[in-house]
Amino acid sequence: MNLDLLIAIFITVVGASTPILIAATGELVVEKSGVLNLGVEGMMLVGAITAFLVVFLTGQHYLAIVLAAGAGIATSMIFGFLTLSLSANQTATGLALTIFGTGFSALAGQGYSARPVTLLGPLFPAELATHPVLRILFGYSALVYFALIMVVAVWWFLKKTRAGLILRAVGENDLSAHSIGYSVIGVRYAAVAFGGAMAGIAGACFPLLLTPQWAERMTAGRGWIAVALVVFASWRPFRLLAGAYLFGLVMTMELYAKAGGGPLSAIPSELWAALPYLATVVVLVLISIRRDASTNAPACLGRPFLPSN
Amino acid sequence: MTITRRNILKIGGAAAALPLLGSRAFAQSEPLKVGFMLIGTVNDNGWNFGHATGAKFMKDALGDAVAEPTIVENVPEGPDCERVLRELAQSGHKLIFATSFGYGDYVIKVAQQFPDVKFEHATGYQRSDNVATYNARFHEGRAVCGTLAGHLSKTGKAGYIGSFPIPEVVMGINAFVLAARKVNPEFTITPVYISTWNDPAKEADAARAMIDQGIDVIAQHTDGPAALQVAEERGIVGGFGQGADMSAFAPKAQLTSIIDNWGPHYVEAAEAVIAGTWTSGDRWPGLKEGEVVIGPYNESIPADVVAAAEAVKNGQIDGSFNIFTGPINDHTGAEKVPAGVTLTDAELLSMDWYVEGVNPPA
Amino acid sequence: MQFRLEKRPEPSKLMLYVTPVASVLLTMLVGAIIFSLIGYDGVGAVREIFLTPLTNSFKWQDLGVKAAPLIIIGVGLSIAYRANVWNIGAEGQYVMGGLAATGVALATYGMTGWWILPLMMIAGIAGGAAYAAVPALLKTRLGVNEILTSLMLTYASVQLIYYLVRAPWKDPMGMGFPQTRRFAADALLPNIIPGTIVHLGVPIAIVVALIAWFVMSRSVFGYQMKVVGAAPHAARYGGFSENKTIWLALLVSGALAGLAGMLEVAGPFQRMVPGFPTNYGFTAIIVAFLGRLNPLGVILAGIVMAITFVGGEVAQTTIGLSSSATGVFQSMMLFFLLAGDILVRYRLKRVIPAQEARA
Repeated sequence: MNLDLLIAIFITVVGASTPILIAATGELVVEKSGVLNLGVEGMMLVGAITAFLVVFLTGQHYLAIVLAAGAGIATSMIFGFLTLSLSANQTATGLALTIFGTGFSALAGQGYSARPVTLLGPLFPAELATHPVLRILFGYSALVYFALIMVVAVWWFLKKTRAGLILRAVGENDLSAHSIGYSVIGVRYAAVAFGGAMAGIAGACFPLLLTPQWAERMTAGRGWIAVALVVFASWRPFRLLAGAYLFGLVMTMELYAKAGGGPLSAIPSELWAALPYLATVVVLVLISIRRDASTNAPACLGRPFLPSN
Repeated sequence: MTITRRNILKIGGAAAALPLLGSRAFAQSEPLKVGFMLIGTVNDNGWNFGHATGAKFMKDALGDAVAEPTIVENVPEGPDCERVLRELAQSGHKLIFATSFGYGDYVIKVAQQFPDVKFEHATGYQRSDNVATYNARFHEGRAVCGTLAGHLSKTGKAGYIGSFPIPEVVMGINAFVLAARKVNPEFTITPVYISTWNDPAKEADAARAMIDQGIDVIAQHTDGPAALQVAEERGIVGGFGQGADMSAFAPKAQLTSIIDNWGPHYVEAAEAVIAGTWTSGDRWPGLKEGEVVIGPYNESIPADVVAAAEAVKNGQIDGSFNIFTGPINDHTGAEKVPAGVTLTDAELLSMDWYVEGVNPPA
Repeated sequence: MQFRLEKRPEPSKLMLYVTPVASVLLTMLVGAIIFSLIGYDGVGAVREIFLTPLTNSFKWQDLGVKAAPLIIIGVGLSIAYRANVWNIGAEGQYVMGGLAATGVALATYGMTGWWILPLMMIAGIAGGAAYAAVPALLKTRLGVNEILTSLMLTYASVQLIYYLVRAPWKDPMGMGFPQTRRFAADALLPNIIPGTIVHLGVPIAIVVALIAWFVMSRSVFGYQMKVVGAAPHAARYGGFSENKTIWLALLVSGALAGLAGMLEVAGPFQRMVPGFPTNYGFTAIIVAFLGRLNPLGVILAGIVMAITFVGGEVAQTTIGLSSSATGVFQSMMLFFLLAGDILVRYRLKRVIPAQEARA
């Protein structure tokens, strides 16, 4: 295997990982606040169609990213209102949000799938972006760097800031946080909105980064992989980063193996496809055995906040 | 029909069904209602788009003789499609096209309950008195594409993105590489099956994976333009539109396209039903009948290469050339079809082996 | 004017029954308005989706067949959710039940006998229960969140179908298409009303729901599940084991999902195909909530959900409403239902502004 091919594989892996990483970074913050939003796939689709339409109508890629984030927030607020203000069941609401996002994006995108758009170009100048070796660092669009920056930012926020501490406290023990005087609902609204924005941007990656078109259900289950990834990473941002690239590698190595032949190509594609989910179950088991899940899994995950006033 | 109706009324226990079943369906003056059942959305730029375009062509050609065609999208291959088929039959559709392989069992089943409704099942093989099957000889188009690839490819390697290794896909791969090897005997093709009909991001990644490993021509048997867009982005020799002209997505990379042209068949079938001359059978037309159409050639292709491709196309139209005429070796090099022998339709429809030049998937 | 939510001392029985009905009606109303505003035939859409399946007696058999698996799975989930055990992997358990039954059908291919179908049923139930046992084991032994494990296992199970029908179980006469052979006659579910598609699974669904209702409302088991769900601490003092409840909740819901999988594959599908996972397991979660986690309510909810599916197709054929609209209607209905949920436990109280200023 030569260097060129390794670089090429790396670049494809980064592309495939980026939407998962962005969506999972958002979901990590949501879950750290004690909320489980299973509507990631739906919010991603809303983001994808929004980004597509904006690029198609205006040609403005960065505007598309911003508006996709906005659309993601708007969609997440349906979830937020139901689960936080009305303390509805989070699991059911999240699933309903995915049904909604799938249907809504398909309705909004009717008649637009025969329309090509253009990808978001590399961030750095062409000399760097297309350099045979340096492109491994500089060959990507802004979305890829955004994903990396957000991982660091979320780590810093959760670990080093007071607001992050409050968010974790709300996710660990909502009743105590409430009794100290923090607004549990307010914090969770902010977290859900952040998760929505990130899911929207993750959706935008599909027409802007991976395949410049709109196709119904084009996220094809990657929202669920993002949900798995958060758990796989046991709610730690840097593990999330490593996990996202690992999942991306699993998803693309299948294709490289099949295209290039060799021993790996004998593995059934179904096993490749199931690997991220099975690995997540294994990780859940491992962290439980080592008991660091108890210190890191948000204790209030999925439970509605019901102060007894 | 009578028995069925009586029984349904018995359980229904209501007269509500009566007006819906009434005799109006057979009134001569009423336009023929034609239904189409699709596996995906009409906006997929590929397979389903082709059928929807055909439906529109039929309406335009026959005018008031047919009603506005009814198109039901996103119908899964399973019990849901049985319900949709009955819904279409009960609501007065007298000609119903079921356009995905997995509908087969249910078409046969529902057709028994509605003997006065004609059903046509695309890509299937099960028939009955009122169920016909139809398909198009896409592999004839693949032979034209393969000829272009043989001439234009610099690396002599092509990639082929497929969904599942069904005979129709295998046939296309074989036709492509047989044609390419007539030009360049060293030509090889690598199929990659992605186990889905519609995951554009995975298709695009499969295209990237193949291009990174040295292929410079790409073909696909899935429903969208994703692979072609990657070919455009990477600036390789090119690829081919599948199902429809996709030059809007890849103006440089689309060398030509294989266009599904179901319209004439739909017109013919509707006319036959109106005239009362419709009969069951299997129809498998191709380039000659105009059901498979080769789109415009990219203007970057040299004239002599276009001429070579046209020769293959015209040879298939006038019957002087058949891509599946021996000698043909299988991928191990062993002779599979002796010289001068041509594979029969039945052999093609159950094709599960690869010809020489295919790097077979594990 | 300001409102405040005040917790009711007892969940409101009235609201429990009123809110599901209200959310369906509200969906029809709001749906008609929204779809009209965005340029569709909104009234027609509501009529075709919600009413035509009921008024056209031809559609009743479809409703029964579509509702049956939703009811069976929904009943199991409502039992689990009552016990506060969040099995959201019913789709995977449904798949494993279907695969286990398929395994029996293929292994007995060429044999005849009345025993094949019951054996498939046992296999289906066992397959579903076994797949649900994984989250149960992990939850009780290691405290692993069952929401996450059951969801992950669902996606893995779908890939198992793809693999089996593509390779070892592929129909030898199927022209290479990824599907198993059609089951032999003795492995197919009998139709109970000749000339229709109503199969044995439909009455089974009703019976399952009635038994579940009886057990949940009349037996110690049902009491235990509800107590553990409502007040785990109290339950522990009462001598009810939380772990045992988790096991029971997951095994029962998994077994019922597996049964539904068997009934679907031996009934409407008649063979295993890649399209077998039709989201019944996820839709049944909605059905369980719509039915207020009460087995009798689940029957009604299953029918309502079936109406929207069947009606969605009617709307496609009659007024050309796209299939995505059905999804929007369903999610809207669920949103309203979930929103209405709060009225069961809380009442709206007007807040006097002066009081608010003080607070």
